[in-house]
Amino acid sequence: MNETLLLQLSAIILFLPLLGFVLLIFFGKRIPKAHAVENFLIFVGLVLSIIVAFGKISFFNDQKIVYEFQWLSFGNIPLIGYTGIKFGIMLDNVTVLMQFVVMLISFVVHLFSVKYMEGDLRYTRYFAYLGIFTFSMLGIVVTHNFLMMYIFWELVGLSSYLLIGFWFEKKSASDAAKKAFIVNRIGDIGFFLGILILYVNYRTFSFNEIFTQISLGNLPFGSSAWLTASGILIFCGAVGKSAQFPLHVWLPDAMEGPTPVSALIHAATMVAAGVYLIAKVFVMLTADALLVIAYIGAITAFISATIAITQNDIKKVLAYSTVSQLGYMIMALGVGAYTVAFFHLVTHAFFKACLFLGSGSVIHAMHHEQDIRYLGGLRKKMPYTYYTFLISTLAISGVPFTSGFLSKDGILGGTLAFANLTGYWLLPIIGFLVASLTAFYMFRLVILTFHGEARDRHKFEHAHESPATMVLPLAILAVLSIFIFYTPNPFNADAGWFTKWVKTPSTIVPQNQAFGFMIKESGEHSEDIVAHSLQYTEALHHAHSQAMYISLLVAGLGILFAFVIYQWRKISADNLAQKLKPLYNFSLNKWYFDELYDKTAVTFTIVLSRISAWFDAKIIDGIVDGTASLTRVSAFGTGKFDNVVIDGFVNFTAYFTGFFGLIFRRLQTGKVQTYLVMVLSGLVILFFILRSL
Amino acid sequence: MDLTYIWNSLTYFQAEIALSIVFVLLLLLDLFFKKTKYLLPIVSVIGFAVVGYFIFSTPTSDALIFGTRENPNLGMVVVDNFALFFKIIILLSTTFTVLFSISSKEIVGSGEFHGEYYVLLAGMTLGMFIMVSTVDLLLMYLAIEMVSISSYILAGFTRKVSRSSEASLKYIIFGAVASGTMLYGISILYGIAGSTNIYAINAILSYGNVSTLTMVFAGLLIITGLGFKISMAPFHFWTPDVYEGAPITITGLLSVASKAAGFAILIRFLKISFVDVTATNFQSSSWVIFDFFDWTEIIAILSVLTMTLGNLAALWQDNLKRMLAYSSIAHAGYMLMGVVIIDNNGLIAVLIYFFIYLFMNLGAFFVLMLISDKIGSEEMDDFNGLGYKAPLLCVSFTIFLISLTGIPPTAGFIGKLYLFSALIQTNWIWLAVVGVINSVISLYYYVRVVRNMFLKESSTGEVQIPLSWLNVALVIILLAPTLILGIYFQPLVEYAQKSVMILGF
Repeated sequence: MNETLLLQLSAIILFLPLLGFVLLIFFGKRIPKAHAVENFLIFVGLVLSIIVAFGKISFFNDQKIVYEFQWLSFGNIPLIGYTGIKFGIMLDNVTVLMQFVVMLISFVVHLFSVKYMEGDLRYTRYFAYLGIFTFSMLGIVVTHNFLMMYIFWELVGLSSYLLIGFWFEKKSASDAAKKAFIVNRIGDIGFFLGILILYVNYRTFSFNEIFTQISLGNLPFGSSAWLTASGILIFCGAVGKSAQFPLHVWLPDAMEGPTPVSALIHAATMVAAGVYLIAKVFVMLTADALLVIAYIGAITAFISATIAITQNDIKKVLAYSTVSQLGYMIMALGVGAYTVAFFHLVTHAFFKACLFLGSGSVIHAMHHEQDIRYLGGLRKKMPYTYYTFLISTLAISGVPFTSGFLSKDGILGGTLAFANLTGYWLLPIIGFLVASLTAFYMFRLVILTFHGEARDRHKFEHAHESPATMVLPLAILAVLSIFIFYTPNPFNADAGWFTKWVKTPSTIVPQNQAFGFMIKESGEHSEDIVAHSLQYTEALHHAHSQAMYISLLVAGLGILFAFVIYQWRKISADNLAQKLKPLYNFSLNKWYFDELYDKTAVTFTIVLSRISAWFDAKIIDGIVDGTASLTRVSAFGTGKFDNVVIDGFVNFTAYFTGFFGLIFRRLQTGKVQTYLVMVLSGLVILFFILRSL
Repeated sequence: MDLTYIWNSLTYFQAEIALSIVFVLLLLLDLFFKKTKYLLPIVSVIGFAVVGYFIFSTPTSDALIFGTRENPNLGMVVVDNFALFFKIIILLSTTFTVLFSISSKEIVGSGEFHGEYYVLLAGMTLGMFIMVSTVDLLLMYLAIEMVSISSYILAGFTRKVSRSSEASLKYIIFGAVASGTMLYGISILYGIAGSTNIYAINAILSYGNVSTLTMVFAGLLIITGLGFKISMAPFHFWTPDVYEGAPITITGLLSVASKAAGFAILIRFLKISFVDVTATNFQSSSWVIFDFFDWTEIIAILSVLTMTLGNLAALWQDNLKRMLAYSSIAHAGYMLMGVVIIDNNGLIAVLIYFFIYLFMNLGAFFVLMLISDKIGSEEMDDFNGLGYKAPLLCVSFTIFLISLTGIPPTAGFIGKLYLFSALIQTNWIWLAVVGVINSVISLYYYVRVVRNMFLKESSTGEVQIPLSWLNVALVIILLAPTLILGIYFQPLVEYAQKSVMILGF
């Protein structure tokens, strides 16, 4: 096992899905069982990614393995300076783990789709799109520079557009695809500007080179404000992709895509990309930027959790819960809890994929019925789906012995420690509130879908457990939501291996721009794994047990409420909604974000486009028309001039033009003698020109 | 003494010897196996592959070979990376031409003399090999004649087609005059310098007591002869007629290989003869030319004239072959811009451009050949609606044309990018502007074809264009570099940087 092999394997993993895409899109009709080819390629990729992750972590745990090559170089260009771009791959522990998670989720989604999408008109093309989606996401994961990151970032945007709008005959689906694409573009503008700030200053896109420059105290334009600005602008990209407030509106609409696609988008690819990006640039974020990030994450987590409570579409509930959990991860990064943020990304990927695929299984069984008001009682009909769904729900609610408990507890502990040190108490308060809300709406979903009586008898009669290729992915994912894969101690993630693999890197921004506790102290602990101050370690340790008790309490309360209202019906949900009508409506209508954007941003854009259309039609065209008229007038004048004044020269001109016309016509007919005359006369003319120079 | 010297030189001459053997072998095979259809092309391709092997295996230590007893170190032929680069281009394009010819209706249909075609191709290649590596005016002349005479015959190869014979005859007359002119120039130069070796000429000229008038006269006459080969305006008149009349495979060959050889010899001649070695600082690649012969100005003017004329004339062509002929004139104009910049960056740009041009231009000609063989016409209107009947060919054709225009992400863009950036670096801003404007003009006639293929309704009935695996493979082989070099071109740039080293500089 050596570095080169790991790099080569990573490159192969990257290009396997692309190969699948190319094969399926160009030769899909000629290959029998084309989807099997794609599934096989993804499976090979999965196996390789396990090998790479294993090899990297066991043999090169603390190293960054980099391969780069000069993509293009223009040397020194006047006024601009050296211009060259390098491409490459960088493998660190986060990368290889992420690579594995992406491949695993992608594989189970592929497997699940085989039956789920059966009989679809564009079956092969669907798998081709899954292939390019996986390729784009893997590109984001393995890249070692911003430019490639941006290219793959946009490729993810494109492939998500293709997948969300896969059933483009439905207007809602094509609208949702457009919405996702456009909203993402808005964030990407910020991302691109951020990259440009860095490139203009450092003349490189490579993460490592830029970070080295910053750690040497070489700030963009010599000011830390620009560093903060570039951090926040790059975060804009994450806001778009990871559906953070205020650009979270595209994600619930993206449920229009096929359900396995939702699982792919919401679990390991696309939305995770934003979190991953922030993790990559974590070390260059200043205290100000981190605070912005933390608050955006908290706000997102809160808003979407409150919306999820009242939604009736099984996929919409899950969608808002995704947004909320992403808010958690972003908040965790903002408060410097890097390790647990990534930990939550991984655990969330598994249980959320399981939830989505489980909902797909339900929808498949119930003939595309997605409204939980018409579901119910499915526990007996679909036991496998039910139990896997339940395990994942326990995980997302933060119940002990699940992976979600560990990671969520870590995040809450991180916010508590942060608040202890800096006094931003709002963050942990929101955190615990959202934890409670999460437990509540997730159990509401489970109870309404699987417990109680069937509310649509007809569809219920025909419902049946899904076939093995759909249940198997659920089982895999549900099993991965159990604590034992991450740590031997179900109450402390620090005892496990995850925190040994993924360590919080120490910040590289100037000391006065970073939170004091994030700066690594020199001295006795400098060789230790802890990359921040002892004070912070202590605070984390202290916060851990606090956070655990509080989160157990709030999650228990949330679950209890869900049972009281929906299972035992002690409190009528309808009455409650009636009493809290304004709040209920506010939540049901998703805080009116869509309406708000429709009235402001969309209207503004339309008005702006009308204005520019008017400007184009009246002013520009006016100028053009004016020029035309002017030309006509002047042409008329020149014509007169021509007729009257030049008349004397006409004979000469005619003769002259005729002479050349004759020559040119002769050229067309191809008399070689004429050619030669031309050549020799050309020679003579050249001679006189050159002699006079 | 002389013999050992020649014997030693021969080790550097392996590729040319191999080529001569291929030539003779083809001639003999043609005599004995008249009936077999594929023997000669297959032998040619194998032979060229062997030649290719020798090109790379020959030591490239910069050396002059075939010296005389008096001046053993002032040989007639040079071995350097610059020649190597052009030999690769020439060999590649000749090989492609042979492969094209296998399925060309014109060539296969020409009957019993079919075999001579391949013999002549080999001979022409040998001539071009010598052209790119000679530093002696006399050998230069002989090599050019060798290439020209082969191409006269090849251009008129389909004897029964009247336009082909006509083209051939015009080509001969035109070529004869150009040769004569060049010989005149050579004789004047010889009169001044007393040597036919251009290194010796450069040494004599650097004393400086040369009359500008004589020098300009001699220089221009030689440039005329070379300009004829690269179809530089105003010596390009033969090009449209010959390109249109010649079999399309030969048109492709003339537009790439023979042009490449012409450029190589033009660059070598101008650079070695007229650059003031004493005043030039090679490290910082700042070149100084003799002030009594400012050929950069004249080449700049001619390059503008060439590309503008080529592009403007191409605008009005309805015959695609003729259009591509004018387009290749325009491309010669672009590449001349690189010759104007006399430092290495300009030449690197020319080399890069030529390598890319090889694939995109041959590709365009090949696809045109495949289509026109089937529909029996080269007229633009007969291509209407073809995009839906022959998607592979038409999409490839589109990519080649887009690349010829120079639009990213195709390789043609990279070629132009390096040309223009080299121009801007050396402050030839106005020339770069003219070049860009010309590229814009060229977009019109290239895209017009695409429009006809994809947006216009078909006027003809059902057309089936079945493709053999060989042809599909060839199209893809030509297409791949056209696309890949548009995205990843660093290796090519580095190779060009290595190849720009002309012996003595």
